[in-house]
Amino acid sequence: MSKKSEELDDGKMRETRSKSKNDSAISKKQKQVVKPVEKEVKSLKEEEEDLLVDSGDDSDYDEDSMSGSLNSDDFDSDIFDSEDDGSQRGTEEDEGHGQEGLDDNDDESEQGDGEVGEEEDGSDDEDSEREVVEESDSSEDEVAPRNTVGDVPLEWYKDETHIGYDIAGKKITKKEKQDKLDSFLATMDDSKNWRKIHDEYNDEEVELTKEESKLIRRMLKGEAPHADFDPYAPYVDWFKWDDAIHPLSSAPEPKRRFIPSKWEAKKVVKYVRAIRKGLMKFDKPEEKPDAYLLWDDSTSDQKSKHLTYIPPPKPKLPGHEESYNPSLEYIPTEEEKASYELMFEEDRPKFIPKRFTSLRSIPAYENALKESFERCLDLYLCPRVRKKRINIDPESLKPKLPSRKDLRPYPNSCYLEYKGHTGAVTSLSTESSGQWIASGSKDGSVRIWEVETGRCLKTWQFDEAVKCVAWNPLSDFSILAVAMGRDLIILNTELGTDEEQSNIKELLNLGNLPEQSAYVAAIVTWLPDELYGGIKIRHFKNISYIHWHRKGDYLSTVMSSGETRGIVTHQISKKLTHKLPYKIRGLPVCTVFHPSRSIIFIATRKNVRVYDLLKDGVPIKKLETGMREISSMAIHPGGDNLIVGSKEGKMCWFDMDLSSKPYKTLKNHPKDITNVAFHRSYPLFASCSEDSTAYVFHGKVYSDLNENPLIVPLEILRGHSSSTNGGGVLDCKFHPRQPWLFTAGADSIIKLYCH
Amino acid sequence: MAPKHYRPAGKKKEGNAARYMTRSQALKHLQVNLNLFRRLCIVKGIFPREPKKKVKGNHHTYYHVKDIAFLHHEPLLEKFREIKTYQKKVLKAKAKKNEELARLLLTRQPTYKLDRLIRERYPTFIDALRDLDDCLTMVHLFAVLPASDREKLEVKRVHNCRRLSHEWQAYISRTHALRKVFVSVKGIYYQAELEGQKITWLTPHAIQQVFTNDVDFGVLLTFLEFYESLLSFINFKLYHTMNVKYPPILDSRLEALAADLYALSRYIDASSRGMVVEPKVDASSSSQSKDREESELRLAQLQHQLPSSEPGALMHLVADNNKEVEEDEETRVCKSFFKDLKFFLSREVPRESLLFVLPAFGGMVSWEGEGAPFKEDDESITHHIIDKPSAGHMYLSREYVQPQWIYDCVNARIILPTEKYMVGRIPPPHLSPFVDNEAEGYVPDYAEQIKRLQAAARNEVLPLPGVGKEDLQDPQNLLYAGVMSRAEEAEAAENKKKMAAKEQQYHEELKLELKKGKEVVVEGDSDVVAESEEEAAPDAAKMQLADDDAMSVLTMSRKKRKLYQAMQIHNERKNEKVELIKKRKSKLNAVQD
Repeated sequence: MSKKSEELDDGKMRETRSKSKNDSAISKKQKQVVKPVEKEVKSLKEEEEDLLVDSGDDSDYDEDSMSGSLNSDDFDSDIFDSEDDGSQRGTEEDEGHGQEGLDDNDDESEQGDGEVGEEEDGSDDEDSEREVVEESDSSEDEVAPRNTVGDVPLEWYKDETHIGYDIAGKKITKKEKQDKLDSFLATMDDSKNWRKIHDEYNDEEVELTKEESKLIRRMLKGEAPHADFDPYAPYVDWFKWDDAIHPLSSAPEPKRRFIPSKWEAKKVVKYVRAIRKGLMKFDKPEEKPDAYLLWDDSTSDQKSKHLTYIPPPKPKLPGHEESYNPSLEYIPTEEEKASYELMFEEDRPKFIPKRFTSLRSIPAYENALKESFERCLDLYLCPRVRKKRINIDPESLKPKLPSRKDLRPYPNSCYLEYKGHTGAVTSLSTESSGQWIASGSKDGSVRIWEVETGRCLKTWQFDEAVKCVAWNPLSDFSILAVAMGRDLIILNTELGTDEEQSNIKELLNLGNLPEQSAYVAAIVTWLPDELYGGIKIRHFKNISYIHWHRKGDYLSTVMSSGETRGIVTHQISKKLTHKLPYKIRGLPVCTVFHPSRSIIFIATRKNVRVYDLLKDGVPIKKLETGMREISSMAIHPGGDNLIVGSKEGKMCWFDMDLSSKPYKTLKNHPKDITNVAFHRSYPLFASCSEDSTAYVFHGKVYSDLNENPLIVPLEILRGHSSSTNGGGVLDCKFHPRQPWLFTAGADSIIKLYCH
Repeated sequence: MAPKHYRPAGKKKEGNAARYMTRSQALKHLQVNLNLFRRLCIVKGIFPREPKKKVKGNHHTYYHVKDIAFLHHEPLLEKFREIKTYQKKVLKAKAKKNEELARLLLTRQPTYKLDRLIRERYPTFIDALRDLDDCLTMVHLFAVLPASDREKLEVKRVHNCRRLSHEWQAYISRTHALRKVFVSVKGIYYQAELEGQKITWLTPHAIQQVFTNDVDFGVLLTFLEFYESLLSFINFKLYHTMNVKYPPILDSRLEALAADLYALSRYIDASSRGMVVEPKVDASSSSQSKDREESELRLAQLQHQLPSSEPGALMHLVADNNKEVEEDEETRVCKSFFKDLKFFLSREVPRESLLFVLPAFGGMVSWEGEGAPFKEDDESITHHIIDKPSAGHMYLSREYVQPQWIYDCVNARIILPTEKYMVGRIPPPHLSPFVDNEAEGYVPDYAEQIKRLQAAARNEVLPLPGVGKEDLQDPQNLLYAGVMSRAEEAEAAENKKKMAAKEQQYHEELKLELKKGKEVVVEGDSDVVAESEEEAAPDAAKMQLADDDAMSVLTMSRKKRKLYQAMQIHNERKNEKVELIKKRKSKLNAVQD
């Protein structure tokens, strides 16, 4: 026994210092493992021992013996065989345990509680013994189960009466299920219940020994399973140094031990350099004060080198509503607050006033940091531009206009209404004496009215809607040109003296028509008008505009047709039609003859071109209106100024001497301008529009060329009803002598505005 | 095909393309990353500009080439690079476990100072004062923020901000430069006037602030860095003008009691008192301006020292100093506004704010707690500031008012009657002193009342400006201040009566006039158009007006017309707001009736 205990002693040491390879330890271990073997099969003993001696040199083996049951599988392949043998042996030994009993202390675990005291004594040999025992214990777990079904899910046997088969192949029947109550009572009675575990695999109760429970407890704590294992045991050097006569190495002392280190010298040099350079300092630098007098008076004149520095705008100062206790009227009502929710996020007010009844109840402002941050962003991210803020009364922007009183007379109030038409009045024309006006309407009638009384003198009824009417500008030839559809009809108004009447009749007599050129014949045909005894000139297209030459002999008609055929002039005295000797670009809208010279203005959709009637070819001038669609045009009686109205409600005043661009553009109507007109003698002009208003302007042209024309808006004339189908005011004409304005409305009324 | 804006080789860029560069171009040019560029821009005060023609497109930020050149020549740029390499070195040493080297490196951390930049950005002191608003607001905000590791906001910086803000406040309070105070939901706005510059700043309410996630602290801290050093230089300059040493050394006991402001003002008093002796010696030799400053200071100190004891001596002093130009009118008013009033602050009122405001307007303050100059049971206390629903023990000799009373008095520049501000009442609305009510178009009721009180005070009670100075020093004022409120109330009541009577009369007259006017109109109408009815008359007139308007707009040039229209829209919006407020007001009135 004494020898054995010595061996075991060594075994313990090996345990504590598992990695150290002491020869003695190895030998001990061999014996240790041998021990069970000799118990088991005596005959095999010698062989086994040999085997083990061969394989046992390996440290791996040590490990195995230590933690045998825990991981018996991972070994290096070269020693696997021997390992296998060992474990086999172990298990066999364990099986035999029960019967064999005892010449060893092996059976401690079996004996259970009684042994504990002994164990706690902690003698070395017992420890080692226990280790061996434990090894066998764990292997028992693997082998001992009486059930042999193996690692299959136990629920396969859930519905069976048995739980598996024993080693002999007999069914192991399930234990009877205990009544819950009974089992509970049993557990209550049993003081050892807490260490009982149900082993489902074998269907039996296992009672943990006290030792096992301690083991588990220690493992739960994360300690080593063995109570006596000290992971921090002091290192014991087993080599004896003292009283050794010979040195371990007999080599002579090397030279480097005696010469100063080169690397140390290098390091010193490095430090010296660092100190010299000032990289290393040993005394702390004295602290300089952070602030000093930065701005002293002497250098106050120094200029900033920056580019023009634009100081950031100061944040807006808070108003009453930001007060912690604002007047009640600054706090939005609940409905208003709710309406904020419906707004877009950008439109929503940033700050909603709140009221706190005392200073102590004000909470922290949650956006303080955010607002500060946003301000910072503004400061360094926003481009700064110096802008002049105009702090003036907006009224002062309005130009100073001459008083309207001084510009009188001008039409400002409705004086008379001429009623009789049943359709929208499309066109108006004044007789040169100013005694009569003619009007054409969509109902197909042409009427002549006496200006001063409003009496309808005469009516002609046609089948088609009248597009345009125009009096002959000569006072002794009171004939009327009426355009409707494709026909232009020259009517005898039967006004004037007998002599004049005879002249007119002669004029309107289509005795023998002169030969027209083939080109013209394709466009127009001269016919007698059977209905009212005038001349009917049939065109190849609908007529959109007619205009008399000032001499009363020529009449130009405009058809909405391209090329050269859009405009023709008719000579009434010779019953001849002329085509214009130039090519017109675009669709013509209207034409106007110059009041004194042989010049014609032709307006196409975007531009106005000025042609000399006596010359062929290119236009004298092209006036660029910059408007989208021209609707009408009128010329100043002086002939140097022209106004053009457009369908976008704009009106341009051209000064022909000045430029080909408009001198002034007035945007006065929200809707299409239908017509514009100049007064023949007064400095007045007017525009009428589909928004059922007419504007009257003062337009004075100075004889001095250096002075620009003076344009002053005078009056907005309302009165025509705007409800009728989008007509508004369709035409406006000035009285030839008086400052009166006639307007033709789509509400079938003609109005006369007087001063 | 050549690109659209083809520039032949060898020809230099011209115009906007040459004068401005985008931010990314600038980054490339300077060889810095965006972070560093941002920091440089912030400390250098460089901001993007708006070129007339944006060569690279609308969505770019443009910097002037010269601005970038300034950055390029900035020594700080090199310094920042140095810091960057230094940080790399430290990291590397640590990564290699070279503790020795890391320790060594940490001892020589490169530092930089912003004084040169401040001087460059603000060549004169006035320039610096002009841009001080943001600086003060920021420093005051950070003074109440909690230090935070996550945001790299160190305790040291918070303390520095706190110190700087207190120093600033102490100076303002000492020189009585505070003009307006406004308690808003966002915090308390103060406006001071220094060298003719109006400086407004916002201090948050003294409540724990919270960090929000949508804020980039890097940017804020860079700004703060600049602002801190700017404010320290400004404080130095200000203290220098006062002949007080900077940085001030504070009484540690008071500091510990969180009464920094009071400690500071004590310090200023003490040190300027100490200085008094010296200037007397070399007064003759020193320059005229210095002399003046000192005498002013002396005056202030003496006033502080002898509140009311020796009027004769004071008068004498004042007379002596009379020749020299003294502070402007307003400072004098402010200085003696709360003179001879003694305030006591209750525990729950915002002490920091009131400790700043009250001395700034010449009041004497104490508070509940240690280190207070006088105790609560002092008999001479005239006003007890309290913000509780009810006061416990009440002294009869003093008035108990809510803190708003002080702010309202300060803004109105008259001692308001206290009855509306008594304990437990809801005080009258607190109005912003920054609003010009007339320009705004709506005058709140309380503003109207205050205006009346002011008028009353000016007419009868306040001394004439010529005699003002002597009067202010007059010990009689002691009496008068106490009586004042009562006298004013009586006056106000009288005034009201008078006003009411006048108003009634006016209304009657107006009615009469209106009647007459109608008759006239009717007559005119009948002259012109017989058919038109009476009701149509105003309509026609309105139409006429509209017509006139339309016609005059017609003749404007397009530019002016657009401007006019924009102005109209602006005015309309403004009016809308006012209308809304008026509507609410009338509704409220209706509910009250």
